[in-house]
Amino acid sequence: MTETVTNLWSIPLLLIIPILTAIVVNFLYGKVKAIRVVAILSSLALFAIAVISPYGYHWFTGQPAVLLNGGYTYSVQIFAWRLSLELYFGYMQQIMIAVMSLLLIFVVAISTKVMSKNMGTYIGLIFLIYMSSAAIIMVNDFYHLWIAVEIGSLLVAGLVAASGESISQKAALKYTFFSAISGAGLAIALALILGITGYPNVSDAIVSMHINNIQGMQGILYVAFGFLVLSWIYAGGLAPIHPLKSDVYGASFPHATVMLQTQSKLMLVAIGLIILRVFGTLPFAKEVMLGISVITMMVGVVMALLQTDFRWTLAYLIISHSGLVTVGISLGTISGIIGGMFQAINDVLYMSILLLCCEAIYYYGKGTSIKSVSGMAKKAPWLAFAAVVGAFAASGIPPFNGFQSEIILIQASLASGLPEVAVVILMVSVTTFIALFKSIYCIFLKADSTPETEQAQSRQGSIPVPKVLYLSLGVLIVLVVLIGVYPQLATDFLNDAAIKVVSMPWVP
Amino acid sequence: MGSIDSLYDKVKRYLLGFNRGKAYSSSMSGYMSGELQTLVFIMVLAAFFRLFTIPLGIVLVIGVVAAFLYFTPIIVAMERENSSDLNRVLFWVVIYFAVIMAITLWGL
Repeated sequence: MTETVTNLWSIPLLLIIPILTAIVVNFLYGKVKAIRVVAILSSLALFAIAVISPYGYHWFTGQPAVLLNGGYTYSVQIFAWRLSLELYFGYMQQIMIAVMSLLLIFVVAISTKVMSKNMGTYIGLIFLIYMSSAAIIMVNDFYHLWIAVEIGSLLVAGLVAASGESISQKAALKYTFFSAISGAGLAIALALILGITGYPNVSDAIVSMHINNIQGMQGILYVAFGFLVLSWIYAGGLAPIHPLKSDVYGASFPHATVMLQTQSKLMLVAIGLIILRVFGTLPFAKEVMLGISVITMMVGVVMALLQTDFRWTLAYLIISHSGLVTVGISLGTISGIIGGMFQAINDVLYMSILLLCCEAIYYYGKGTSIKSVSGMAKKAPWLAFAAVVGAFAASGIPPFNGFQSEIILIQASLASGLPEVAVVILMVSVTTFIALFKSIYCIFLKADSTPETEQAQSRQGSIPVPKVLYLSLGVLIVLVVLIGVYPQLATDFLNDAAIKVVSMPWVP
Repeated sequence: MGSIDSLYDKVKRYLLGFNRGKAYSSSMSGYMSGELQTLVFIMVLAAFFRLFTIPLGIVLVIGVVAAFLYFTPIIVAMERENSSDLNRVLFWVVIYFAVIMAITLWGL
């Protein structure tokens, strides 16, 4: 490697712009138009930076690198000087942050159109969630990992509480309470790894474990693994912490859930890859991760079947599909990891379509319960079309994007000699279809049987669906079809990261 | 004396066990599908243990089917356990963590 150590300009911008925007919109507080302009311009800038940025590192402090032969080097080259506290922006980070930035634009445009109270704080929280997600996907040291997970958890609670309903505040309080346990667990895990290896940098810690005889310390490593898995479960909403996370998804505004679920998926990928890089060679580590993923898929999708409110159906399906993401990563093979990361991207896209449809249904003034809303296809045919496309994509039906990632996951499971996992993935797809179409049938296709007087009352309680929501749905549908037909548009960005995890885990 | 329930009675009792109320609702189809899905999922999970030894997988699958027939319908219990009450979540986290540590330390 001849690349010299230089700090990449885009990495700090991806973190500082959201923080500055959050501060500015907080000061603007009630000035709706000004907040809207600042927030949309910032989100556009973040999207542009993610798309045009070159690849590289940003480092905060450095040390001579540990070499595989146990020696140290002082040559000023990128892999000679280990970047002790570092952030890395590569292909995988680029596509994930670009997708998140695109969603940020839609979320900001919609929320500044429909929110009226506490808008400055609310938009500020959305930007800070973006910042924590961007940080965690770029992180390659344990300090930043801990900070990003901790801040991210508190911001989730803040955004949910800002939704203003008592159920939201209750969900936020429970989530915050558990963050204390999970955060402490993560800190213990990182302290144990630091104690064994002496390095806060993930790559250095891996090299140190490769070259030093740590046979006698495997017990400590397993404890660290257990705590790190606990924080992975918490951050991503995997079973058995999924009831807290589903409360969070179901109790916030659907447009806020778009950002919350994106953050969860990015955390699952980022922490999952770190666990795989550090502990992947330990016996039973992958099996434990796989078991958690399969249980999450199962519990999430079964609970989605029982819901009678579209919001809650989606909340549980997000949980279940988080399991699909982690199944791929847990397989630990190149195709499995590509499938997991690809599923994360696809998942945030098609779930965003469904969540925005749910948001639009909410504007019609009768809630989102399948018991109270019906006949929506007549009132909003384009919305019905978008919901059906989102449901097809989520169920893994070709030619939509969900099909492409699920087929990769199924093939990866079969190639790993785990046909049971392939069966579970297929069942999740079918059950997702059943759960979604139960809601879609009742809300959109079933005739509206409510009396004319009640219909008139609900029309009075409704607010117009903003045009920007339809625009967002249009863009997302195009993306879902485009990636479904040309999956290489996304997978080309993911190959590099997957190969590194499997073949050379000490390179971020 | 054995049970005098006919198959019809057993099936009827099984179906009524899902909802203590009206035998129809908008969630009924969900409960029925959920019950069947759970059965298959748990059987697949049991089959996973073939990774350790194949006879263990076979025994667990048979055990799961027997347990399922005895405890059915389990979807109601599953829904109850799915509560977001902190005490219940903490209970499951402790169990979970103990299982993780037991399995991984077994690998030493």
